[in-house]
Amino acid sequence: MPWVLVLPFALLSILPVQAYANPRISTESSEYCEELFARLAVSPLPVAAASRDLGEEGRRLCANGHLRTGIAKLRRALRASRVEARGP
Amino acid sequence: MAVLWWATAGALDRQTIAAIRTDASALVERHREGGTQALMDAIDERLAVDAENELIYLLVNARGEKLAGNLTLWPTALGEEGVWFRTRIQHDGATAEARIHRRDLAGLRLLVGRDESERVQLRLLLTEGVAWSLGAVLLFAVVGAALIRRALQQRMRPAVATAQGIAGGDFSQRVPISLQDDEFDRLGATMNTMLDRIAALMAGMRGVSDNIAHDLRTPIARARAKLEGSLVTAEGEEGLRAAVEEGIADLDNITRIFQALLRIAEAEAGARRAAFAPFDLPAVLRDAAEFYEAMAEDRGQRLEVEMPEHLPMLGDRDLLLQAVANLLDNAIKFTPDGGVVRLTAWQDEAGIEIAVSDSGPGLSPGDRERALDRFFRADASRNLPGSGLGLSLVRAVAQLHAGEVGLEDALPGATPPGLKVAMLLPPP
Repeated sequence: MPWVLVLPFALLSILPVQAYANPRISTESSEYCEELFARLAVSPLPVAAASRDLGEEGRRLCANGHLRTGIAKLRRALRASRVEARGP
Repeated sequence: MAVLWWATAGALDRQTIAAIRTDASALVERHREGGTQALMDAIDERLAVDAENELIYLLVNARGEKLAGNLTLWPTALGEEGVWFRTRIQHDGATAEARIHRRDLAGLRLLVGRDESERVQLRLLLTEGVAWSLGAVLLFAVVGAALIRRALQQRMRPAVATAQGIAGGDFSQRVPISLQDDEFDRLGATMNTMLDRIAALMAGMRGVSDNIAHDLRTPIARARAKLEGSLVTAEGEEGLRAAVEEGIADLDNITRIFQALLRIAEAEAGARRAAFAPFDLPAVLRDAAEFYEAMAEDRGQRLEVEMPEHLPMLGDRDLLLQAVANLLDNAIKFTPDGGVVRLTAWQDEAGIEIAVSDSGPGLSPGDRERALDRFFRADASRNLPGSGLGLSLVRAVAQLHAGEVGLEDALPGATPPGLKVAMLLPPP
């Protein structure tokens, strides 16, 4: 009775395959890079030169395709500007 | 190892969970104060300053539409139940582990999480380190245990060989003692002391058996010969009756010897120590003196008694009375007519001394050494009645009370020197 041996595989083949797609981090794009730069630019308080330079460097890196490093620098620049805004 | 693991990898986990919980609570509070827009702004602001690139947020409305955050979609692996999850996300082009906390707000669903890739790497390193450490510890433990076992076996070997030799019937073997003077040497010395004691007891048993065989055979044979002779020579019923009475007296004598032997064995075994009770020693001694005073008077002897009014002690009253009676009996028996027998008792720091002195012929130094052995009888006393067990019982009773017996001249330098037998007992 070879069909008995084949039956389990046949049953497995008709079961729905559940393939979960992993969600992705969306903040790894040049658009987000520009968004961060814009956020830095519209800061209500004057931004220190060091933070501004860091932001410029981040934007340049993003433009050259180094998104990860560029975004990291822009975030550091933003963080520094927030600290400056709070004062010493 | 478990503690090490709990303190490192476990601490990382607890730290992440605490950070996520605090962050989520702050966002929920922001929503309560400023509404949905304030919550969205707060999420954007947090992501904007996330230089470490590890924060994960997703805010969706009731229809599942994304309002804020950096996750592209709601993770389908998350069930409807539960508030804490582990899931995988695509981060920087690679698959990363993430820990997610879910909060349901009015018409909104919020996910707050952390990318745990670095922590996973660190945990792997820690796991590897702990595994190597565990392996090393196990290796050292196994090697150490093997070395200790080998050393123990080596040190125990002489004792084991001795025990095997004794089990094989060779009682002359003793454990060789090394110069290390450690626990094994002390064990070996204790074993040797025990074996010496067993050998002495066995020799004593053998001696007693020989003595019983020798000393009881004579009176039994004598009684049998008398009865047999009476059958042939007795004239009439009176003669036979006299012979039977004499036989009964002989058998009574044998019974007394047996009783004395049993009493000595009982005292030596220490079985009666449980029956120790406090009593006043002079009262017991005066009872014994009163009983033997008449016997001494019959022989024209004087029995002097010297002891304090009271002398409390703890012991076996009956056995002590029997021992003193034996001493008085011996003293009266060996003291010539008109002699003096003294019974004394006193106590000092060293203990209690109960002594019986007489003015008899005394014992030679050689006889004194053997006088306490069972069935010993000095040559001069062979013609006097007795079994040779009296002083053996005295010694057994003294030993039962953790004491000893001493024999010395009662009148040193005099002729005859007399004999003083003293029981030296420890203080109560």
